[in-house]
Amino acid sequence: MDPLALEIVVPAVSGAVQGCVYGLLGLGLVLLYKSGRFFNFAQAEMGAFAAFITAFADKGVGPFPDLPAPVAVLIGLITGVLLGLVIERIVIRPLFNAPKVTLTVATAGVFLLLFAIEGILSGPGPREATVLTTGNLFVSGGLRITQLGGIIVVVLVVLAAASALFFSRTRTGTAVVAVSQEPTASRLVGISVERTSALTWAIAGFLGAVAGILLSSSTGTIIPGSLTVVALVPAFTAAVFGGITALPGAFVGGVVIGVIEALAAANVSNETLPGAGKVVLFFALLAVLVIRPTGLLAKEA
Amino acid sequence: MTVVREASSVDAAGEPRAEEQAQAKTGRDFGPIRWLPRALLIAGLAYIFLWRIPHDTGGAAAVASDACIYAIVGLSLNILIGYTGQLSLGHNGFFGIGAFAAAYSLTVQEVPFALTFVIAGLVGAAFALLMGIVALRITGLYLALITLVFGLTLEESLFEVGWLTNAGAGQPADRPEWLFSDTNFFYFCLAFLLVAVYLDYRLLRSKTGRALLALKENERVAEAFGINVTVYKLIAFVLSGSLAGVAGALLAYRIGIVTASGLGFTLALTFVLMTVVGGLGSRLGVILGASLFASLGYILEETWMHSVQQFLSSALSFGSSSAQANIEQFSVGLLGALGLLITLVQFPGGLAQQFKAFFDWTFGKPFNVHDLVHPGKESGPGTAEGSNVRA
Repeated sequence: MDPLALEIVVPAVSGAVQGCVYGLLGLGLVLLYKSGRFFNFAQAEMGAFAAFITAFADKGVGPFPDLPAPVAVLIGLITGVLLGLVIERIVIRPLFNAPKVTLTVATAGVFLLLFAIEGILSGPGPREATVLTTGNLFVSGGLRITQLGGIIVVVLVVLAAASALFFSRTRTGTAVVAVSQEPTASRLVGISVERTSALTWAIAGFLGAVAGILLSSSTGTIIPGSLTVVALVPAFTAAVFGGITALPGAFVGGVVIGVIEALAAANVSNETLPGAGKVVLFFALLAVLVIRPTGLLAKEA
Repeated sequence: MTVVREASSVDAAGEPRAEEQAQAKTGRDFGPIRWLPRALLIAGLAYIFLWRIPHDTGGAAAVASDACIYAIVGLSLNILIGYTGQLSLGHNGFFGIGAFAAAYSLTVQEVPFALTFVIAGLVGAAFALLMGIVALRITGLYLALITLVFGLTLEESLFEVGWLTNAGAGQPADRPEWLFSDTNFFYFCLAFLLVAVYLDYRLLRSKTGRALLALKENERVAEAFGINVTVYKLIAFVLSGSLAGVAGALLAYRIGIVTASGLGFTLALTFVLMTVVGGLGSRLGVILGASLFASLGYILEETWMHSVQQFLSSALSFGSSSAQANIEQFSVGLLGALGLLITLVQFPGGLAQQFKAFFDWTFGKPFNVHDLVHPGKESGPGTAEGSNVRA
């Protein structure tokens, strides 16, 4: 493969796969934004928490027996759902009528709480994560797509499509949108606002857990807080980029952001500008917010 | 909404509204022992500032300096979140750029020590002005997001640039000789804090301060009353950024070497946490919250609280020594996060609201039991009420 292609194609492909993880997290962010008009700063850490539980169950740490990986992943996913429900009940529901900025700060508090709990359970250092597969799907020259990368892309496409259908085709999905637009009127027509809110958080917890387990599986290790540092901001950028209310937008935005970040990081040397990927992300986000605040694919609700 | 009225009555620091005075009359007057809390407060402060800190060998002076630095950042954030209603999650950026600016100008450019604070303030203000221009277009949650990304971008990019960071090794910032002792440096930081408090006090009583409060309530109404929203929003950002920059310079001299580590996401959140937990809009609350967050680690490690912490951590770790070490290491974060969540859910006015009865009593008003028993009744969630979440 010629060098130009190596500089462009290889980072673009790996960036696209990484971007799918951003998209997965972004999906959870969009879901919660659609249901309650706030940002969830704990989304990535909810995933990390589930990934920690998965790693514990896989290696037989703490109360867990040494379980096979698929069972451990299942436990991790259930943890994610339960975590979403608990957060909703304890933190979100009492703040239902509070300003959205308060709610957003509260989710930042949830992030710090989860971070501290993970630290207490696992210690400050890295822990070996559950690795799902190690094989390659496709190798040619410098280009390599792992099986895990394939899984990530497929999972994201399926989940994005499923949640888009959920909001447009099911009664429960429309109820969630209705509650976000007019809680009082929704209550009047017989929608349980509490149940809707719990449901959205359960789904968000599930989406976070999927993202956390997949991302920790691709990096091989997991450290408290690392998932938030690595993926939360790109996930937000992806969600805003694609249009914070459009579910397929998170998918498109994630891939675009992943590719842009990887290309900038690969082609700008660290001496010229350290952290070029992040700088490009910042300006991409700024440009989208200033020029087209609704994002690329946004439509009503 | 009562929420907003309550917040602004706290804002006006020491100028209670008529109805509050009426309510205060119903409070309990303790007669001749009224002077007691004031005497205790003065004695306590004198003990801490004049005896405990200078005579401590366990690093109390350094921690107290940190408390002052955090308190200045808290006041700076309070101008934006508490007064103007703009949520900034990027204060680690202004703080860090101030630290680097001071260290760089002192060590590389050999600027006089006193001038480095001016430079740090100006650089912080310049970056904040850029963010303020962004805030003219982007409001509410989106502003919170873009400021967060701004802070992280600075941390990963500018704070890693070779010429600024001494090729990544960290930019040294040596104190002049008369500040070598930690105690002297603490008094130095305290002086800065007192100046910041005075400026904040003057700000709220000026035309600018009233304009900022009006912006928080409702930008459109403020505009209709002839307040230039663009100018005052930028003023708020510039004031906040310059305070944060000066605090960053103090941190640079406090540590002696500036690196990007520790200036990231967690610091950005800690700044917001301490301000919210302290009580948005309340000067005293913010200073208390900041001091608490800055010194929590020290209090848990070096004072009598340490035995409490050890007892609890050994009880919770079921005999595993690594688990106990983890609990001790993360107990500060755990308490901070719990403090924030409890504050938001139960006492939205923060420490300022929880201790309002004591504060009032200390400053000579009758002890109002009502404030203590029903702290949540009078005010709603205290975070950036008026910010127009355009979403």
